[in-house]
Amino acid sequence: MDPQRGVGGAVPVVRVEPLGVTIEVSPGETLIEAAWREGFDWPTVCYGQAQCAVCHVRVLDGVENLAPPESEEEDAIRTLLGARAGRLGEIRLACRLEVTGGAVVEKRGVRRS
Amino acid sequence: MTEVIPPVTYGDSSAEANTSAAPFAITDRSYIPPQRYFNRTFFELENEKLWPHVWQMACRLEEIPNVGDYVEYWVASYSVIVVRSSPTEIKAYQNACRHRGTQLAQGCGSFRGAQIVCPFHAWRWNLDGSPSLPMYGSEGFEDRVMRPDDLRLVECRVGTWAGCVFINMDLNAPPLLEALHPVPDFLDPLLIADMRVDWWKAVRLKANWKLALEAFMEGWHVRGTHTQLTLGAGDDFRNPHDLQHSYENGHASLEKDPNSAAQGTVKSSLGLGGTADPEQTISYLRMVHEQLQTSVLAKDLHVAESLRTCPPEQFSKNFVKSMYAWNAGAGIKLPDPDPAVLGLWSSQWFIFPSFKIHPLFGNAITYRSRPDRDDPEYCYFEMWSLTLQPEGHDPGKPKFDGVFEFDDEAWPLIARQDFGNIERQQRGLHMPGLKSTRLARKWEDGIANSHIQLDRYLAR
Repeated sequence: MDPQRGVGGAVPVVRVEPLGVTIEVSPGETLIEAAWREGFDWPTVCYGQAQCAVCHVRVLDGVENLAPPESEEEDAIRTLLGARAGRLGEIRLACRLEVTGGAVVEKRGVRRS
Repeated sequence: MTEVIPPVTYGDSSAEANTSAAPFAITDRSYIPPQRYFNRTFFELENEKLWPHVWQMACRLEEIPNVGDYVEYWVASYSVIVVRSSPTEIKAYQNACRHRGTQLAQGCGSFRGAQIVCPFHAWRWNLDGSPSLPMYGSEGFEDRVMRPDDLRLVECRVGTWAGCVFINMDLNAPPLLEALHPVPDFLDPLLIADMRVDWWKAVRLKANWKLALEAFMEGWHVRGTHTQLTLGAGDDFRNPHDLQHSYENGHASLEKDPNSAAQGTVKSSLGLGGTADPEQTISYLRMVHEQLQTSVLAKDLHVAESLRTCPPEQFSKNFVKSMYAWNAGAGIKLPDPDPAVLGLWSSQWFIFPSFKIHPLFGNAITYRSRPDRDDPEYCYFEMWSLTLQPEGHDPGKPKFDGVFEFDDEAWPLIARQDFGNIERQQRGLHMPGLKSTRLARKWEDGIANSHIQLDRYLAR
């Protein structure tokens, strides 16, 4: 299934690989909150405080549909992930990631609880 | 004729408690020993015997509208997390990890995923205070130190009143409404609980937490401190709050005496009866609006100014009528206009130990004072301007404007005038020749009353 592009008022959908599941992310909700709401376990230590970066995802597609990171998220990625931070915009924190349209991300360790 | 108002007019219980065990105890309601404001032993006794056992205003309800929202409330060196644990429940916990004591949260924010996580070893708790099992690293502990019921966060008692969350660290404390008695009986009809934050500021004052609040516990400093508010009356200015009541539980109020010599002054014209010169009253309200920026909001001034040509004998009555008409038109429900309610417009209520409410029209000022960490001579003092909202309008979480120096123009002039005196008073209290400070029994007994209630805690 192709990620929706957030037109026509549809709730944006994010596909999470390699599990291959899709998660609807409501306005004002972060990706990890949407995943929790839909009953997934998502790797994290700090539970949404942008303190651990364990929830980070690699963006595979739809980067144009992601709300840009604020300094708190950028600092956490740079400080806590170092070399794994990758290219600008490629790595995002699921606990800060809000979307305006469809996207595909990679996150190992996501599973149904 | 001068008649001394009895010190306690509402179920005084001061006689039954032996408060002599407290250092620098109050032995005469007319004198307060200065040491109570700076002595280190006294301060440490407050920290041991008062704050862990008394109900105190911890935050406003509107700060934590969503499940997971939290506010850290601190007082002296104590810290408590207040969290909305469900749409219908608020919990409060002593802010310490059950492992090594680390503070679990600071400031304010939201616990995501319904988890409170220690930043040290990432132990987690659910919002209801139960440990989120299995605790990380539990295999490293002996079983006997990992009983789930012994790993729960340490709870505080929680109560809500007047749009605020109150906490008490003592699980054996009486219920909140019992401790607040009789204040809610008087204030609930004024709809304080429906008011929302208009502005909210804080100041760190170089003064004891009690001294700061006491500057707002009597009205007769207006002539000396806020001379502009006397509109040139000079020595003829009468104390606008000449009816003072001390209550049980350490609370106190200031009201206008409907039969007093101050009748006919500007303040007495804001509620019920009496004649009032429209120009003088409008000047006064404009001054309060501009120099206090709360209590009299632009909408209230607008109503008063529409009555400029009103005959003096009809001003008060028409003012009340116009206030209700204007607010009804704006969708704002004012309290029922019965005489008991209108009589409390501009009254002031001290709520032991550290909170104050001053209602006027559909507005109120609230104050909170607390010792700033571990120094008896510094306090953190806050003011909230509150106002009733149009029905159905939710202004959202209140914005904290910030902490400003006492002389910063971010503070309204009237507040700056008060703050300046408070710091001077704290310095003056240290003079070795000043054996005691004295109180006007008729107007300032609420201060003595609160100190006597404090002594009851310290003597326990």
